[in-house]
Amino acid sequence: MRNGFLYGLALQWRLDIRSRTMLVTCYLVPLIFFGIMGGIFTSLMPETRETLISSMTVMGVSMGALIGVPPSVAETYGGDIRRMYRANRIPLSAGLVSMVLSAFAHLLLMGIVLLLAAPVAFGAWMPTSIPQHIGRTAVFLATSLALGSAVGLAVRNQAKLTMVSQLFFLPSILLSGILFPPELLPEVLGKAGRIFPSYWGYRLMAGCGSFWENVWPLLLIGVVSVAVCGFLLRRLEAE
Amino acid sequence: MRAAVQVRDLRKSYGTREVLRGLDFQVEKGEIFALLGVNGAGKTTALECLEGLRRYDSGQVHIQGRTGIQLQSASLPAAIRPLEAVEWMARWKKTRLDPAVWEALDLAPLSNRMYGELSTGQKRRLHLALALLGDPEILFLDEPSAGLDVEARAALHGQIRRLRDRGKTILLASHDMAEVESLCDRLGILREGRVAFQGRASDLAEKVGGRCTIRVRTEQGEEVRETEDVGRTLLEMLEAYRREGRTVLDLKVDRGTLEQQFLAMAGKEVV
Repeated sequence: MRNGFLYGLALQWRLDIRSRTMLVTCYLVPLIFFGIMGGIFTSLMPETRETLISSMTVMGVSMGALIGVPPSVAETYGGDIRRMYRANRIPLSAGLVSMVLSAFAHLLLMGIVLLLAAPVAFGAWMPTSIPQHIGRTAVFLATSLALGSAVGLAVRNQAKLTMVSQLFFLPSILLSGILFPPELLPEVLGKAGRIFPSYWGYRLMAGCGSFWENVWPLLLIGVVSVAVCGFLLRRLEAE
Repeated sequence: MRAAVQVRDLRKSYGTREVLRGLDFQVEKGEIFALLGVNGAGKTTALECLEGLRRYDSGQVHIQGRTGIQLQSASLPAAIRPLEAVEWMARWKKTRLDPAVWEALDLAPLSNRMYGELSTGQKRRLHLALALLGDPEILFLDEPSAGLDVEARAALHGQIRRLRDRGKTILLASHDMAEVESLCDRLGILREGRVAFQGRASDLAEKVGGRCTIRVRTEQGEEVRETEDVGRTLLEMLEAYRREGRTVLDLKVDRGTLEQQFLAMAGKEVV
């Protein structure tokens, strides 16, 4: 059983490398965005060098977790692949866990590429503690992936999913503070941004506010998302 | 007990819709048995209840042996390779694929192709290989040849027959009467959630009591008669020819296809 899960995990990692969606959303778009926006940000506002790594990481993670992961989850659980799991007595949760862990590894790798490339390319400031930055990225990443998984399980129709994913992704980027400070937004929008992990993830990585002040909302969003995933998986098992 | 699969009074409803209304049948060891029925007759529901993939409301199911399952519309990720899929499933089942099965299903040339690039027939063969992991004694195949062309279908039928010859018990669901007639040892006709007939295809005509066509060619020409009593009509015809001194050159009794008999049975029950 464990053997099957570990093989499935390694296989999922390879499948993600072969998947165009994952390649585009986990590597290509975040790195191109970084290449273009990093240059624009740092030349227009040199002070953004201080937060460039955090903002680009939030963008990349949000893109991968909210745009890249849901279609893969929906493809497995909304279509006939789920039936193959059932026919071969593979727990449905095993597929989701493999997908999340594989995406976690890919997105963390992308984050590390940003971390290493930003100072060289745009003179971005390195975090004071690299392990701490990676740890904080991991917390944000885990929450975003939990939310992305819940979206993929809840909306299994690919056409609807494209729309719903954007409903999570766009506000995540626009209201999180990575493009402009939330204080400049109308109060309602500023508050609305707080329901998305990117707002807290950016603050956590950029060192705004205390550690726990930013971590507990992420944990709360993560726990609720995991509970929703559990509920939806159980419903799928019963179908 | 010789039966590999025994089903008694199996009932299953989806909400208020009763799909299985007391299903009774049994499959003997080493035979190919088909559950035949029109779309929506409950074949897939019945198979899934037997496979343990769907809970049934009441009834008894006895399965004597390890099972392998090929579902009607199962799929795999498009980017997976057949060898990877087999290795993955085999590890979950703590088994290995018999290389002979891989060869027999002609999957070796496809080992490193992507699943998304395989034809429907090739996918079916791969699914069959997955169902055969762990060397199951009983195979459940749901519409195994749906969507296949004539050549792929014939090849798959050959492979299913060889599995039977190796001692496997095969229970398949199909709505294709020609397939059932050519492939299966016995069949059960599912109608309105019950087994309306169970036995050999050749017994179906007897049960239905359908009309047969007798064609006799003599030197004077061909005579065609339709009858429900073949023996008596044939005797009468031959007696008449003997009296008239006519020589019979050819004789053919056509009991109709299984499809005609199945439709006759459905019609008879409706009335």
